[in-house]
Amino acid sequence: MKKWYNVVAILMATVIVLGIFAIGCAKTAPPQPGGPITINIGEPVALSGSAAPWGQIPTPFREAWFEVFNREGFQVGGKTYNIKLIQVDDQNTPEGGAAAAKQLVFGDKVRFIAGHWTWNFSAVAAVTNPAKVIFVTRTGAPDQLPASWGGLYDPKTMPYVVFGTPSQEEFTADCFALIKAYPNYKRLGLMDSVQSGVDSAGWRALKKELDAAGIRYHNEWFAVGTSDFTPYITRFAEAGCNLVFVAGWVGEFMLFSKQRWEMGYKDMKVGCSGPFVDINIYKAVCGPDAAQGLIGAYYDNSQFKETKVNPKYIAQCQEALRIAAEKTGKPYTYTGEIAWLPSHVLILVQAMQKAGTVDDTDAIMKAIRGGTFDTTIGKWTMSGEKTYGSAVVFGSPAPLCTIQGDKEVYLSEYPTKPLP
Amino acid sequence: MPPAEIWIDGLVQSCIYMTMAFGMVLVFSILGILNWAHGQFYMLGAFVVYYAITAAGIPFPISLLISGVVVGGLGMLVEKFVIERLTSPGYGMLYVTVATLALMFFFEGAAGMAFGLMDKGLSTVLPGVLDLGSFSVSYQKIAVIIFTLVIMISMYIVLNRTKVGLAIRAAAQEPVAASLYGISVGRVSLIVMGIGCALAAMAGGIMAPVYTTNPFMGRIPMIMSLLAIIIGGLGSLTGAIVGGIILGFLNSVIAYHLSYVSEFVLFLLVIIILLVRPQGLFGAPLK
Amino acid sequence: MPYFDYKTLIPRTVIGVLIALFVIIPVFTTNVITISIFISSGIWAIAVMGFVLILRTGQFSMGQAAFMALGAYTSAILTIKLGMPFWPSFLLAGIVSGIIALIIGLVVLRVGGIYFSIITLAFGEVVRIFAQQMEGITRGARGLIPPMPPTIVLGGFEINFAAGPVPYYYFMILLVAITAVVFWRIDRSRMGGTFSSMAANQILAEHQGIHLMKYRVIAFTIAGVFTGFAGAYYANFLSIITPLMFGLWQSIQIMMMSIVGGISSIVGGALIGATILYTLGIYLSRLPIFNIQYLLFGAAVVLVLLFLPKGTGLVDLWGKFWHKVFREPEEYEMPEESEMAVE
Repeated sequence: MKKWYNVVAILMATVIVLGIFAIGCAKTAPPQPGGPITINIGEPVALSGSAAPWGQIPTPFREAWFEVFNREGFQVGGKTYNIKLIQVDDQNTPEGGAAAAKQLVFGDKVRFIAGHWTWNFSAVAAVTNPAKVIFVTRTGAPDQLPASWGGLYDPKTMPYVVFGTPSQEEFTADCFALIKAYPNYKRLGLMDSVQSGVDSAGWRALKKELDAAGIRYHNEWFAVGTSDFTPYITRFAEAGCNLVFVAGWVGEFMLFSKQRWEMGYKDMKVGCSGPFVDINIYKAVCGPDAAQGLIGAYYDNSQFKETKVNPKYIAQCQEALRIAAEKTGKPYTYTGEIAWLPSHVLILVQAMQKAGTVDDTDAIMKAIRGGTFDTTIGKWTMSGEKTYGSAVVFGSPAPLCTIQGDKEVYLSEYPTKPLP
Repeated sequence: MPPAEIWIDGLVQSCIYMTMAFGMVLVFSILGILNWAHGQFYMLGAFVVYYAITAAGIPFPISLLISGVVVGGLGMLVEKFVIERLTSPGYGMLYVTVATLALMFFFEGAAGMAFGLMDKGLSTVLPGVLDLGSFSVSYQKIAVIIFTLVIMISMYIVLNRTKVGLAIRAAAQEPVAASLYGISVGRVSLIVMGIGCALAAMAGGIMAPVYTTNPFMGRIPMIMSLLAIIIGGLGSLTGAIVGGIILGFLNSVIAYHLSYVSEFVLFLLVIIILLVRPQGLFGAPLK
Repeated sequence: MPYFDYKTLIPRTVIGVLIALFVIIPVFTTNVITISIFISSGIWAIAVMGFVLILRTGQFSMGQAAFMALGAYTSAILTIKLGMPFWPSFLLAGIVSGIIALIIGLVVLRVGGIYFSIITLAFGEVVRIFAQQMEGITRGARGLIPPMPPTIVLGGFEINFAAGPVPYYYFMILLVAITAVVFWRIDRSRMGGTFSSMAANQILAEHQGIHLMKYRVIAFTIAGVFTGFAGAYYANFLSIITPLMFGLWQSIQIMMMSIVGGISSIVGGALIGATILYTLGIYLSRLPIFNIQYLLFGAAVVLVLLFLPKGTGLVDLWGKFWHKVFREPEEYEMPEESEMAVE
């Protein structure tokens, strides 16, 4: 009996060790096709953890978009290039971001990182900048504001960072878009999880703008992992808020909406600071009635009313949506990705074309700073010289939609103003 | 003074913590171990109910019973093949503790792989609200309260008025003497584990419509039931109930007054209790 | 007849060769990821050694990762906010961690048993919540980025930390070696014997005149100091420290590493357990199937626990292996005997 245990234990240990080495060595180098040269772009994305739905749902669309894009590719200096996307799970945490960045930069040897929206900016930037990898990310994780506001983005030590999506400024614009759609609001409720930092520089910047425009608001923060929002709904109701903007992850937003409906606050409108993952999930969790009228971000560029988008990119995105629907076998309605990776990639591509090189990182960054780019969400000029210390912030239409029946319907838009 | 809706919310929270804590204490008093995977049985029960309702169309109350039976059975398997092996003399407490911790992650991973990471909702179960004037309470939450009452009453009956209950109580107090009377402590352990896990599963099932169902939903109830047991006293069933009640109300009221600091306050409270009166309210005093 | 005691000499030579191989690994591979894995494994091994030391006195501390966090944050805050260079902050990190361990130990160890375990768990969570809430000092959940240690110039030979993980690797070996020697000596000393007797039978030990509290606190504090060092070094290596990096899951991981490695040998078990489980975790997280890492990790640990003979870990297989190799034909094999490991 005893010997049997020993044998099994040794066998298992061997299997585990062999398995480790097998998996580690199983790196398949893809064969290089003759034809367009492939450029690798890396993306640390939240494929697990609380933001996993937002990380996983765009995958069919991303793949489809690159398929459409690579049909033509892009030309620099007489050569044609294709793009290959490499995604690594960053688990939506700073340490995961650092690990993912190291994997992409040192393991997969990418020279660009784009489409990044998780909130681990500092961790990734600490890896990419010394390695001269251009990092296209978003503003909005409140540690990007310049040093004078206590943030950690420093254009001198981080020369290879581009803010391809101005989430911070977009959040402010979203509030204004909300007010534009519901001018008879009584008080705006703002809620976020303490993960973003209670009363951090980003929040203070937002409130400064709201104060300047005379918008009445009430601010709440909840502990990470809360599923019972009853106390917060009560506090909002007591403060007189009938329009609440919840900056949390998908589950938190759904539970808030459900609970406020059940508590009887049916005329409290709720919005989330991100696109809807899939309307059916919201209907399943909140109930079909509570889900009506929920507000979210919306990036179907064929519906924009105030921002003009190049028809070529509209067509590309529609084609990609169609392919994604084909691949998944059911209607594919998630448009949120249109404002992220494709837009970031187009910025990089046009910068490479302007600079005339795909290798010279400094030349490409020079072409990006202050340049004007035409992407899937319109034509914007990089700004932010005074605010961020470097003109590397793109713009956004900040569009919103609302759930009506089974569909997302365009609600309003409030294009972000260029930053000083 | 927090408004009435906070008190009702506290009551609902109490019910769940109570049920979970009760199951944990039951297992602890016979097997002598804290089952760290208790929260995962809660999560599995919620998933069983979810799939029973959406995929098979089984009505909610029967789904609850099914989840209790299925997950209770799973608990018994775990007891037989893992816990029993690792609690035989010669192993330290460390082994079974690490094993239940490893199981915690095993079940989370398995659920994540099998069911996907997206939140699932069951809002169509018991829809509607009860209007109480200035606020309303959803029927789902009322169902939680009723469910807990039913469970507590049936547990009381089982433990105090049936032979099985008598065997359980005897084995909990004096295992050696009980075995002299012909009670198979091994069999009782199996039954108790089954009951404890079934309680957790049904708690998860009744809460599935109230919150979302996802593979990570078991973590917080596990910690909360642990805190409830500490407040009430390890090894005391009454303590589990009282601890659950106190914790539930404290959670809601503190969150109402201090929002996100509530987490901190609860842990601090637990540490103070452990230092000042480690046996909690109803536990056996230390030597 | 052999002129030297080959039964102890050969295994020791093998260990010596393995250690030498490890030291010159950077010659064989420049793969950043591989070296990083070894660095991380070594650091976790230090934390595991601390846990096992406390275990030797009969207590389970379920919050060891909290001391790593304390050490890491101390070092990071000192280097970032006060501009202190890394090495002094590293030393202070260990000292601060040790002092906190001393205070906590004095207050909490008198309870003992399962209550102690739960308090350490709660303590771990409190440290995490504290780090999350104290925005002004720790920047909350967004974390701190400690700067790398400055380049050290040793007469023509430059140690540049920013160039890659190799300098970190050698300092890690140094740290692990020092820790291993310290813990090894403690284990072999009279105090180590006292620890074991306390774990075996508390009442008897007390009757023998052993002052339980004193030894528990000593073990807890020593573990705290070295775990603090490990945390500070790790945070600097990863160039990031966040509240969730050293939370409940990491404390649990330390426990798992200790069991899988084997608690009979403080140094060997910790190194084996940490390396195997950490490497397993990293490679599992590369698999494209989400959540398979949790599933396989949990399953692997449970299976190892079930199938290894009672009270042993992987490190004990080493002893058995050599026993099998050197077995004389006429020796009678005792069935249920658990051999002590050769080291």
